[in-house]
Amino acid sequence: MFLWPPLPVVLPLFTAAFVAAAGPYLPRKLVDAITLGTAAAVMAVCCLLTLQSSGSAIVYWFGAWVPYGHFPIGVAFVIDPMGAGMAAFVAFLVMAAFTFSWQYFDDVRTLYHSLMLIFLAAMCGMCLTGDIFNMFVWFELMSAAGVALCGYHADETGPLQGAINFSVMNTLGAFLSLSGVAMLYSRTGALNFAGIEVALQRQEHLGVFLPIVFIFVIAGFLVKSAAFPFHFWLDDAHAVAPTPVCILFSGVMVELGLFAAARVYYSVFAIALLPWLPALRTLFLAVGATSAIVGGLMAFGQRHLKRLLAFSTISHMGVMILGFALFTSTGLAGTALYVLGHGLVKGALFVGAGILLNRFQSVDEFALQNVGRQMPKTAIIFILGAVGLAGMPPFATYFGEAAIEHSGTQAGLPWISIVIMLSGFLTAGAVLRVAGRVFFGWGEKPTGESRAPRIDLKREMQGQKSKTPPTMWLPAAVMLIIAIALGWFTPLRQAILRDATWFRNTRGYVAAVLHGSAGGPGQYHVPVPHAMPGMHIGGVWMPDMWREVITLALAALLAAIALFPYAIGRRAGTALRHGAALAMRPLHAIHSGKIGDYVAWFTVGIAALAGYLALRR
Amino acid sequence: MKLRLTLFGLGICGLVALYGTVIAHMPGPGKMHSPYSRAINKLCVPQRHVTDAVTAVNFDYRGFDTLGEEFILFASVMGTLVLLREAAENKGPLSGDSASEPRNVRPTEAVRVTALALVGPTVVFGVYVVTHGQLTPGGGFQGGVVLATAPLLVYLADDFKTFKRITSHALIEISEAVGGGMYAVIGAIALVLSRPYMTNVLPLAQSGGIASGGIIPLISIATGLEVAAGFVLLLYAFLQKTLAERESS
Repeated sequence: MFLWPPLPVVLPLFTAAFVAAAGPYLPRKLVDAITLGTAAAVMAVCCLLTLQSSGSAIVYWFGAWVPYGHFPIGVAFVIDPMGAGMAAFVAFLVMAAFTFSWQYFDDVRTLYHSLMLIFLAAMCGMCLTGDIFNMFVWFELMSAAGVALCGYHADETGPLQGAINFSVMNTLGAFLSLSGVAMLYSRTGALNFAGIEVALQRQEHLGVFLPIVFIFVIAGFLVKSAAFPFHFWLDDAHAVAPTPVCILFSGVMVELGLFAAARVYYSVFAIALLPWLPALRTLFLAVGATSAIVGGLMAFGQRHLKRLLAFSTISHMGVMILGFALFTSTGLAGTALYVLGHGLVKGALFVGAGILLNRFQSVDEFALQNVGRQMPKTAIIFILGAVGLAGMPPFATYFGEAAIEHSGTQAGLPWISIVIMLSGFLTAGAVLRVAGRVFFGWGEKPTGESRAPRIDLKREMQGQKSKTPPTMWLPAAVMLIIAIALGWFTPLRQAILRDATWFRNTRGYVAAVLHGSAGGPGQYHVPVPHAMPGMHIGGVWMPDMWREVITLALAALLAAIALFPYAIGRRAGTALRHGAALAMRPLHAIHSGKIGDYVAWFTVGIAALAGYLALRR
Repeated sequence: MKLRLTLFGLGICGLVALYGTVIAHMPGPGKMHSPYSRAINKLCVPQRHVTDAVTAVNFDYRGFDTLGEEFILFASVMGTLVLLREAAENKGPLSGDSASEPRNVRPTEAVRVTALALVGPTVVFGVYVVTHGQLTPGGGFQGGVVLATAPLLVYLADDFKTFKRITSHALIEISEAVGGGMYAVIGAIALVLSRPYMTNVLPLAQSGGIASGGIIPLISIATGLEVAAGFVLLLYAFLQKTLAERESS
């Protein structure tokens, strides 16, 4: 009990320092093995913590500084199954990334291993912490390591730009978050989530202080979660980051932004902000829906594979935000399932893109046309990935979507289903289009200005490998298999619903931290909805999977039209292409790549969110 | 461009108004009676035998935060090295290997004498700040930065060659990692004794003495090592790059 909770953070930090010191003097394979082993150990510990905490939350006071009276003076980890499970998932994806990079970089130095381990430690800290400043520290550490990893071995010209955009936007967000923490502290004198919650209950005349501070505190997390209009840095960062790093950026880092916002909301603000709940719901629904649609459209408009996948992440983040924005247990459980499903599917797709990059030194869709005819494994990765993105059963994404849609319909918001369908339609369509062009050679040859420059992406992978080693495609296969297996595994869905219900129980959380879960009202004494929606028929198949079937069929149609626009007639095809280009122009214009524009969007976005809440009472 | 300015103007006006609203709701200057500072001021001497409350918070009550912060510095230094290396490689000839050994103008006698005279006191003062954090304001972070200025003074007094001679690059890299790892290990000693991470396991000694505070001075020294080495690495990388650029232009 005293041993396990700190290990997910401390173990990788220690190994990172060790590898940084001793790495240059050790054989490369040994360093690979040590780092992979550390990630595996962290995953094992996190799984153990998930099980241990499923009876009652684990409250772990560092330095044995238990609350003085009932006032917290130290830093605590408050571990519930949701947090520990998320940390386990983080560790799993880090393992996948390490496996993939086993033979990926030729001249890799141990800095990469150290930074990845620090990244892992920071993400685990975010998942497990019960203290707002501590969360900020891990958030900062995550950004510091993330920026460095992003600029490690740039794939493109202007390699530093992506890292710089990442760094500037996240620093701005972090600045507002830290201001928010200080503002909270000025009224409450507390940094522990539960401590702040209790102190806020005693405060009077808070007025509009609280909603504004809430937005400030989560500003950094919103930037990290790539919610519209704070998402601009994300595709720039993905475009230059090495493939194994992209797996983590898209698979968990972005999702952790939403996780942190949800954690802060449910353990600190939920009760105090109750009068603002309708306004908050409107806000987050708007943000989620906009992200889903803008991300989807932009994804379809890309020919740079990594950018395409990055925009698809923004779109699917929109779906996850919708699940949170319902403020229901079922919605949150849906988001959690969706995080797992999406992280695995997207990780596999990035592996696919990395394999292409490795073989052909390019991630440009047109440059890669018809090169993949002899690559059945990679083709399967892309096609299955598209199916997963469309949310087809039995992928875990389907069950996440189903729960969110169910909760949305119950809340009288059936349009949520349409937004989710649009997101799946556009992103799956984009991936299918790429698959058709690259692996089957379909599609019109580009003409004139759209002719592909044979981009020289020499840096990430020197020495062309004629055969893709199994350490590259294996992680993708495993991730896709798990993404499917999770869908079939009914107890997991049930457990996630239970964990989401606990996650939202503010009073139980506070009691567990300040009074100990034994004796006082235990954290988990809340009624749990007895079943995830629509899991009755044979445990898996649902009557309303027609939505996903339609989504996938339309996505295939969309891909076909994009590949063969002239099949519907020369004139009509031309008109369609020009119309689409014209319609997309404003969207492309705002994704300018200029950091000044991003900052302007950030200030407007934060002012709009906080201002709306301040004016709505 | 115009759109950007309009957007930013709107946004920043709103943000300033909101920021101001919140600040108006905060306690006025001198009116903040934080229960946390009251508790810590009451507790830090009897519980921890530490007379500097800030150090008690940094390295013990909230020492776990500081572990993270130490690694933020660690990751930032590594990140800077990575990005500088990328930038250097992209420009080709500026990779800064020994072939393009930077040469610079010799400083005047006055600068040399002053800088050299300051090296000794700087080292002594740095060590003092690192080791006395538990008694007076200071500690590993502040002292580490002071220590890192000593090689910089040597560079000012002479040139980059001398800077490199007195700072073994491999040794500095190892020291930085050891400083980071040591913090993690000191915290883990308690785990072996079945106590929570970072629990004090050493005798607290008498308040006001240099050995007071149990593991606090040890953590402080680990941090000092990490910070000093980290900053020297940064100086090394930046000097190398700047001088190489000056050389080529």
